[in-house]
Parts: sequence; C-alpha cells; structure tokens
Amino acid sequence: MAVTAGAGRRPHGSLEAEVLATLAAASEPMSASDVQRALPHDLAYNTVQTILIRLLEKDAVQRRPEGRGHVYWLRHTEAAEAARTMRSTLVGRPDRAAVLQQFAAGLDDADAEVLRALLAEPESP
Amino acid sequence: MTFAVYLPAVLSLLLVAVSKAAARHTSPAAVARGLTLAAAGAAAAYTFCLGLLALTLLDDLPPLAAFDRVPGLPKPVPGPIALVAAALVAWGALRLFRDVRTRRDTYRRLRKAGAPGPAGLVVADWEAPHAVAVPGRPGHVLITTGLLRGLDGREREVVLAHEHAHLRHGHHRLIALAAGAAAVNPLLVPLREAVAHHCERWADEEAVRRVGDRGLVARCVAKAALATRPVLALGGSSVVGRVRALRSPEPSGRWTRLAGPAAILVVIAAVTATAAVEFAAVAVAWLNVV
Repeated sequence: MAVTAGAGRRPHGSLEAEVLATLAAASEPMSASDVQRALPHDLAYNTVQTILIRLLEKDAVQRRPEGRGHVYWLRHTEAAEAARTMRSTLVGRPDRAAVLQQFAAGLDDADAEVLRALLAEPESP
Repeated sequence: MTFAVYLPAVLSLLLVAVSKAAARHTSPAAVARGLTLAAAGAAAAYTFCLGLLALTLLDDLPPLAAFDRVPGLPKPVPGPIALVAAALVAWGALRLFRDVRTRRDTYRRLRKAGAPGPAGLVVADWEAPHAVAVPGRPGHVLITTGLLRGLDGREREVVLAHEHAHLRHGHHRLIALAAGAAAVNPLLVPLREAVAHHCERWADEEAVRRVGDRGLVARCVAKAALATRPVLALGGSSVVGRVRALRSPEPSGRWTRLAGPAAILVVIAAVTATAAVEFAAVAVAWLNVV
C-alpha cells in the first residue's frame, strides 16, 4: 500500500506523545535530528525542535548540551515511579488486568502459532 | 403467574447466539454499541423478573402465611423457585459490586501512575510490554518502555492512535456496562467478551484511519501480542480475530445488521411487561383478601 504514514487526521497533542514515545524507546539521549529521523512523518527540523522545547517546559523531558545543540531524554524519576505504580497494581492481580483494555494481551501457544502463520501468508486482496 | 416470568433468562441465551451471527461483517462501532445496549436491556429484564419471583416469598411471611390456604386466591410460584430466584438476585448483586469495585480501584491506581502532560501520555520504565488507556478527565495513555522499544516509529504511532481511540470514544463505559450486565446475568458473559473484542476492533480501525495502512496495523497488533506472551494469558483468540479482520477489507455493515438482536430485545421487553402485569394481578388479589 502506497499510503504515506500520517495520512489521516492527527489530533492535537499527538505529535508530542509520539516524540515522547520515541525518546522513551531510545536507549541513548537523542538530538532533535535523531528524533526527526526516528519519526515516521516528514516533519521539519524546527517543528521537532519546538515540540522538544514544549516537552521540556512541561518537565516531561530533560536535556544537556552536546555538540552544537542539545540531547534530550525522558525524565527517569517519573517513568520509574509510573512503573512502580503499574507493577503494584497489575502484578499478581489477574482480576485487575482483566478489566483493562490492553493493546495486546498474551497468547497461548496455539494462538501464537496461528498468528505466525497468518503473518506469513500474503495479504488477502 | 405464567411462564412469561422465566422467559428473559431463556431469551438471554438466544440473544447471545443471534448476536454472534449479527456481529459478522458489521462495523465494530455499531456492534460494540448495539451489543452493549442489548446486554444492558437483557440483564435489566432478567433481574426484574427474578425480583418478581423473589417477591412471591412474601406470602410465606407469618402475617400472610395464614391466607395461603384461602380458596380462590391465585397461587404464585412454588416456594423453592422463589428462593432460587432470590439467591440469584443476591449473587448477581454481589458479582456486580465486585466488578464495579475492581474496575474503579484499578483505574484509580493507574491514574496515580503519573500526571499526563497535554501529550496525554505517561511512560512507565518497565520491561513488561503494556499499553493501557486510562479513562478520566481527560484520560491518558499509559505505556511501558518494554512495549515502545519493541516497535518502530510507525508502529508506535499505531499503538498511540489505538489507545487514543479508546479514550475518545469512551470505550471503558461500554465495556463497564456490558461487564455489569454479565455480572448480574452470567448467561450474558459471551456478550461482555464480544463488546470488549469489538471495542478493540473499533480502535484498530481508527488506527488504520490514522496511518492509512491495514497491513501495518495487523502486523503491529500481532507483533505486540507475540512479544507480550506469556506475561498475561488473556484474550489471545481475540488478538487472532483482530489480525484476521485487519487483513480483510473494513467491514461496512451498519445498524441494520443488528435487527436480530434488536428483535429479541423487543420480545424480552414484551415478556417482562407481561410478567409484571401478571404479578400485579396476583398482588392485587392478595391485597384484596388481606
């Protein structure tokens, strides 16, 4: 399918979420151009820079000078705290996990096989 | 009282069977909304009729028991049936209470996981792959680094679009309503599962609308599910169904496809009204004697 990513409507704030998710997925701090390359959109460097500054002002990310610009990373204390809360809520509590809309819940072996086979098939027209 | 009072329970089973067929080739948004409505209606009728049966126990209370042998008075239902009905109502109430409490408790805890900025996203630094839509005002997406690291930029966009769709369309309300219905009437558990599944399908289709590529969304759902195992062995077949649906054209059938479940719902309403009228007649006869 030759449809460009981001072809659809993009609600307000979703680019910020994507930039934040990109930084969270990275193992190293990223510069604005690193983020620009990692995003699936054709965004101008300045747009990415603006989003990063906005996230910085909201205390969602941290940065330090590196080279001619800055590198950015996700604030660790908040992310660790969120993980603690999530773990204490969900681990060992299948009743709680069951009420949530999880993006992808786990599979048993048979389902995993079916899924792998499905992915190997060519797409139906 | 005649058989009408027992029919909502029997018709719940028929509703489940018919809904399964109606959901095929129908837009997930219509199915999720329609089946939630059907489940809520069927559960209300079921509980109401059990309540009527349980109320006939009143004729065994000491002040009324004396009239039990008055000739000409309509006999309600046998005592053991009324007792079973009362027990089922109590059991349903307990299950409903537990379901509501777990739901509230889980969301309240997850809301504390962090203050979402206007980005509407809270990242948790945890290797277990999770992405959850946490409803609230305005609600946010809670996602773990474990899931984010396994995906590329386009796939991350899919997950975010999917979770935002849950929040935007208030899927937690539909699911809570269907789960409440299944709690009071366990015959409706398959409808609860169907509503949950079609809310996922609905969010998948919204993600397709955002990224414009069904194959990408299908691969992303499959990839995340395969990465998740065996952390939580939940809803696996549902994931297979979602991937299958994403690899076929978008289902376009609208509300008209839900005529079957709607017709059964009308019948349930009618028999419930009949049962209520019959109960009122018995009650009036008794009150006249007393």
